[in-house]
Amino acid sequence: MRLLLGILDRVRPIFEDGGKLRPMKPVFDATENFFYAPSARTQNAPHIRDPLDLKRFMSMVIIGLAPCVVAAFYFFGLRMLAMIVVSYAAGGAVEMLFAVVRKEEINEGFLVTGLIFPLILPPGLPLWIVAVGVAFGVLVGKEIFGGTGRNPFNPALVGRCFLVLGYPGVMSATYIVPGSGPLGRLTEYVGVEAMTRATPLAEAKQGVVAPIADLFWGNVTGSAGETAAIAIIVGGVFLVLTRVANWRTVAGIIGSFTVLGLVLHYARPDDFAPVGWHLLAGGLLFGAFFMATDPVTSPITNGGKWAYAVIIGAATLLIRNLTGYVEGMMFAILLGNIAAPVLDDVAVRLRLRRLQHEG
Amino acid sequence: MSNSAPPAIGGACGQGLCGGKCKEILREGVWGNNPISIQILGVCSALAVTNKLENSIVMGVALIFVCAMSNLLVSLLRNATPRRIRMIAEVAIIATFVIVFDLFLKAFYFEMSKSLGPYVGLIITNCIVMGRAEAYALRNPPMMAVVDGVANGLGYAAVLVIIGFFRELIGSGKLLDIVVLSDNWYIPNQMMILAPGAFLALGFLIALANYIKPRQEEETK
Repeated sequence: MRLLLGILDRVRPIFEDGGKLRPMKPVFDATENFFYAPSARTQNAPHIRDPLDLKRFMSMVIIGLAPCVVAAFYFFGLRMLAMIVVSYAAGGAVEMLFAVVRKEEINEGFLVTGLIFPLILPPGLPLWIVAVGVAFGVLVGKEIFGGTGRNPFNPALVGRCFLVLGYPGVMSATYIVPGSGPLGRLTEYVGVEAMTRATPLAEAKQGVVAPIADLFWGNVTGSAGETAAIAIIVGGVFLVLTRVANWRTVAGIIGSFTVLGLVLHYARPDDFAPVGWHLLAGGLLFGAFFMATDPVTSPITNGGKWAYAVIIGAATLLIRNLTGYVEGMMFAILLGNIAAPVLDDVAVRLRLRRLQHEG
Repeated sequence: MSNSAPPAIGGACGQGLCGGKCKEILREGVWGNNPISIQILGVCSALAVTNKLENSIVMGVALIFVCAMSNLLVSLLRNATPRRIRMIAEVAIIATFVIVFDLFLKAFYFEMSKSLGPYVGLIITNCIVMGRAEAYALRNPPMMAVVDGVANGLGYAAVLVIIGFFRELIGSGKLLDIVVLSDNWYIPNQMMILAPGAFLALGFLIALANYIKPRQEEETK
């Protein structure tokens, strides 16, 4: 470790003001921060002491995602590694470009986007499409709005939405059949040459209903990280308990989805599958725990969070069952993201009015 | 797209007729005050017809024609038009030229007419044409009004052609229906020929224009 520190200290002057590589300073800072706490000290007041900074926050999400990553490796093989590397490289390049041009720091937020993005893609997707998607997501979903903290949409979902609309054929034809046995596909690197299959939600439209146990343990195909409900719940509950993910958003989405699903299932059982099945199928759980809870793109007020969650839960169920799309979670969260600022505004106004009446 | 005023039109008005302002008017219409990228007018048709380069070109030509001719006629009649009915008069004049162009397409380029659908007819309601008649032709002599109409039509056409170029190239791998990117290796991005692609392309173009323009103005200062 001392060796690395020595190298960092030796090259530091090149990146400081007046150094040869001054424009590349964000890259140096990011490298240094990745290995060590930054050496810079805050010079002026106010000094706030708080254990939770953006970096810690993002690290927590990465830990929460770990079970899903492990499940993805087990079911879909070493190709996941390639997808994650490509996602970090392509998205990181866009991020770095903007950081250098804007002379800002490279933000830790991308660590999460870059990992979540391959997890919400079909596991057999060609790598160049992964790269195009993540680059588009970071550019249009985040950087043109001003970077981390100013983005109205979840960048990973913007990237996925772009791919779903732009390459629908490729997207729906690259769902690899998951591996099984003690090692799964852990020793294999398989792309589309392995058998592919329609996702459970797509098959359900043709009347083929996957067993609930398979959905729970992940023995179905789907986007890489969304198939194993058990892994999502373990990682998601960890995030909720550490308060990185807000419990209101998660509870609101699952609650509204369940209530609406129950009502519609009993009203029209032919059109709507049982709600328990729907809860475990597709990206609902993954989206509810890891994507809708993004602190930047969800509302700040508690009232706003409830309304936002209800919109997402209800929209997902309706899109799944009443439209040509088989999965609605992505569109639902993007819709929720659009509504978030308005919901916050309404929540604040209602609060103000109540205070005025009381006062 | 920046300061390239086509010399052919600049030469036509020579000295005297438009007081040597020709170049400046053209510059304003195409770049400085571009109807789409700066004034955000006429966006509806710019989004709707630009899924193919061919459509964009025809639509651009249509607007240049209508804008120039209606500006000419409005300007010729500007002293004879009572102020209170000027709007109706302008609409009637614009509608006349739009119908002329629409019938021309139907007679000689029927396929093109079908693929543009209602959008040629909708030029009547295009804010650019009406805006130029109202804001420019009513107060200026005929020659200058024509140049202004052509300039604004060119500005509109330039934006449409740029958007159409990228949407057709990325969205179907073709240009003017000729395969440029072979589907042996190129997978077209279908979103680009749908509505979201239009919004994205126009958004990027406007962003680019807004990025370049202030820098340019600073330099000239």
